[in-house]
Amino acid sequence: MSAKTLKIGTTFLVLGLAFAGLMYSTLSEGTEYYKHVDEVMTNPAQWEGKRLQLHGFVVDKSILRRPDTMDYKFQVQSNGKVIPVRYSGVVPDTFKDGAEVVLKGRLGPDGFTVDPNGVMAKCPSKYNPDAPTGKAGS
Amino acid sequence: MATLGTSLLLATFVVASYAFAASVAGGRRRSRRLVESGVGAFYLTAALMTVASGIIVHAFVTGDFAIKYVQHYSDSAQPLAYKFASYWGGLDGSIMFWVFLLSVFGTIAVSTNRERHRELIPYVVATIAATEMFFIFIMVVNNDQFDTFLTQVPADGKGLNPLLQNFYMAIHPPSLYTGFVAMTIPYAFGIAALVTGHLDDSWLRAVRRWTMIGWLFLTFGLTLGMLWAYEELGWGGFWGWDPVENAGLLPWFTATAFLHSVMVQERRGMLRVWNVTLVIVTFFLTIFGTFMTRSGVVQSVHAFGEDRWLMTLFSIFMVVILTFSFGLVIYRLPLLKSRHELDSWVSREAAFLANNWILLFSAFFVLFATMFPTLTEAITGERLTVGPPFFNKWMLPIGLILLVLTGVAPLLAWRKSTVSNLVQSFTWPISATLVTGATVYALGIRVWASGICFALCAFVTVTILQEFIRGAEVRKGATGTDIFTAMIGLVGRSRRRYGGYIVHLGIVLMFLGFAGQGYKQDEQLLLKPGQQSTVAGFTIHHNALTVTSDDQKQMITGQVTVSRGGKTLGEMAPAKWFFNKHEQEPTSEVAIRRGPGEDLYIVLAGYDVQTQTATYAVTINPLINWIWLGFGVLAFGTGLALLPESAFAFATLKVPGGAVTTGLVLLLVLLPGVARAQGTGQTVSPVQRSELRREMEGQLMCMCGCRAPMNNCPMGPSCHGLQEQQPKLEAYIAQGMNREQIKAAFVQEYGEQVLLEPPNRGFNRLAWLFPYLMGAAGAAVIAVVAWRWSRKEEQPAPGAATPQTPATADDAKMRERLNDELRDLD
Repeated sequence: MSAKTLKIGTTFLVLGLAFAGLMYSTLSEGTEYYKHVDEVMTNPAQWEGKRLQLHGFVVDKSILRRPDTMDYKFQVQSNGKVIPVRYSGVVPDTFKDGAEVVLKGRLGPDGFTVDPNGVMAKCPSKYNPDAPTGKAGS
Repeated sequence: MATLGTSLLLATFVVASYAFAASVAGGRRRSRRLVESGVGAFYLTAALMTVASGIIVHAFVTGDFAIKYVQHYSDSAQPLAYKFASYWGGLDGSIMFWVFLLSVFGTIAVSTNRERHRELIPYVVATIAATEMFFIFIMVVNNDQFDTFLTQVPADGKGLNPLLQNFYMAIHPPSLYTGFVAMTIPYAFGIAALVTGHLDDSWLRAVRRWTMIGWLFLTFGLTLGMLWAYEELGWGGFWGWDPVENAGLLPWFTATAFLHSVMVQERRGMLRVWNVTLVIVTFFLTIFGTFMTRSGVVQSVHAFGEDRWLMTLFSIFMVVILTFSFGLVIYRLPLLKSRHELDSWVSREAAFLANNWILLFSAFFVLFATMFPTLTEAITGERLTVGPPFFNKWMLPIGLILLVLTGVAPLLAWRKSTVSNLVQSFTWPISATLVTGATVYALGIRVWASGICFALCAFVTVTILQEFIRGAEVRKGATGTDIFTAMIGLVGRSRRRYGGYIVHLGIVLMFLGFAGQGYKQDEQLLLKPGQQSTVAGFTIHHNALTVTSDDQKQMITGQVTVSRGGKTLGEMAPAKWFFNKHEQEPTSEVAIRRGPGEDLYIVLAGYDVQTQTATYAVTINPLINWIWLGFGVLAFGTGLALLPESAFAFATLKVPGGAVTTGLVLLLVLLPGVARAQGTGQTVSPVQRSELRREMEGQLMCMCGCRAPMNNCPMGPSCHGLQEQQPKLEAYIAQGMNREQIKAAFVQEYGEQVLLEPPNRGFNRLAWLFPYLMGAAGAAVIAVVAWRWSRKEEQPAPGAATPQTPATADDAKMRERLNDELRDLD
């Protein structure tokens, strides 16, 4: 192996390791688990304190708003499991009873606390609402 | 009509297959006639796709709701402009639009390069035809846009998603697609060069121009996407690292890398494998981006739905592309040897190399992070996501390093820079950086990333200015003119180089805007009528909440008075619109008060009609307008670089002039400023319009030049024509004039043309005519091609002889052009 290949090889190795290390360390802070309500509720203790993106549906007539504030309390469910949720801030236009939502936040002993601006509601009709999904289908 | 459409698609598929087969066979057997017929068939696909597009546009305009696609994405009340936009509003249409663009671009590329790169043409045609075949195959078997309802035909359509009914959204997808599709052309030339082994640097010339065009459209598309997100989505930002946005960004990175590294190859004969690889990767990423957004492989708020069948098809196609392309590269490695080695790390080629690595790294980082949820789910079964903070954490330093390189690279000499020329070049830029940095620090700006960014912006700007001034000085000395003439002459002389600098200047402006995001502030206010609150010096006074409606929608508008330091700045009216048939998805109409320093951005986030209470989300976005302005500068620079090699060629219209592109793009950039200035204070008064007024607005033309009736002017309420005409109309109505009197009064003032009788006049007629014109144009092309074919069949001799003459004539022209370009490289 010539000196040049060795040099190039070492450079790549060092850079690669540095990137991998940086990536690993930032990833662990940056990642969030994407979970459905029922998945979380089978073992809530395991998920407490972790950053979560919680997928579920708003329980009908569960949305409560403290008058003259932007504090909300509501419940989300999926497959029969329910979590109470607290949130303070602006909700998206499509946030209403039965809406499919993804909530960013943390699970605590008394329910799920959503980060500021952490409510994302999926459009009832998607970009491509109920398009013909083709013969092979999904 | 729908049956005709489907059969046209099938016909296109057959013709494309023929073009593919004939070209490959012709290329291998060196049969001129086969190649010619392949090219003819290739042109024919463009004609067929044009007719098919004409049919679907016709169906949209006439409201042929028997076609499922039309029924899904439009309704009869939709403004005409958006009926056009509905063409690409859904999955099937977007694929068809893709093929349409590809066939047209392919035709342009082949016909302009036919004589210059004769040996490459068969394989260029084959590659593009194969890509077309893939997309048409998808359409024919799975996503036929011309699918009809078999049983009951609905009376009206569902309407285009209201979020998409926005000026930018109407032009953002076509622009992005144009960019994507244009990247197919370089790839086709690259593959052709690899297959034939004509790997000298001549193929790069054809490729470079198309990459530049594609790059410009890609940038335009991305910028429009940002504008759309900013104005329509109402979350106060413009870029959220959503998979769909990232899909457009990935090929942008690699195309940018290519545009830089291609210079190293032209100049020094290095990086040849690398350049071919970049072309392939860029094309691959456009297909991958389409795959990502169309197949539902990553979840996104605005991705199209999930579709396993599409996923499989795309996966196969992508694997084929990768194996085939890189197989060819490996096969041709001996021909791709570098002619030189890197002399020094302090050289321009080294800076370009660093820039390439970083851009490529950015592409792979974004790709990795976008695919991260899918990857983790596949590997561990747990779906882990990464959010925008993760992207920002990485992309911020990367962006800053790129900015440094933007400034450094032009200062370094090719091959090796000496210490004395380093000192000479860097004195001014570095002093400027230090001064700016110190000023920023002294002003008490403490967001480190933004502070560094400001200092670097100064660095790059001074570098560019220094380059301009130095060049002009030299030229002044040589030609003896004044400095400005010298500068214009300089730019005219080496358009690519100075165009490139102007592009860099645009990038600097955009970075200024990005840096401003470091000082973004937002606040949420809950206000009762008469209450007010202050955000960053702006006092927001909530007056009332109004409910109004028109044919298409219901509007809830918050009436706000904004003042600063006791001085009233104006009224703002953030609103929520509930489009008919989409009541469940109201859209937020953001009120924006624009300024060079900052934007005041108000969204009506919540409301209670009973108590007249409103919740406003208020965002202060510093420096954001510099991003849009930066794009304008960038487009201008690219246009300059794209100008044909000799200014005389431009006059003879040999190549589509870059000036046209620039002009168009600038126009488009300027238009939205006018069209969407709805937030700048003067907003529509929410007064219910009287019956008479509404009728008259439908019958009188807006005189701003749009040729649309007053109630349908594409420029919106802030149009200068409307602002002049509406008060007059109101005044006439107030005076108790009847219809005829009002009309007469308007005719007296504006002439006969102000009268507009829909639907068969003015703008509308043009629109009705459009599909027929398209159809006719397509038919004409078919006829010409057919005629030429038949003629060639009969007399093969002249067919072989005629190309001889232009070829020799071209040679001289070509040599001249070559010389010109070589000089340009300096």
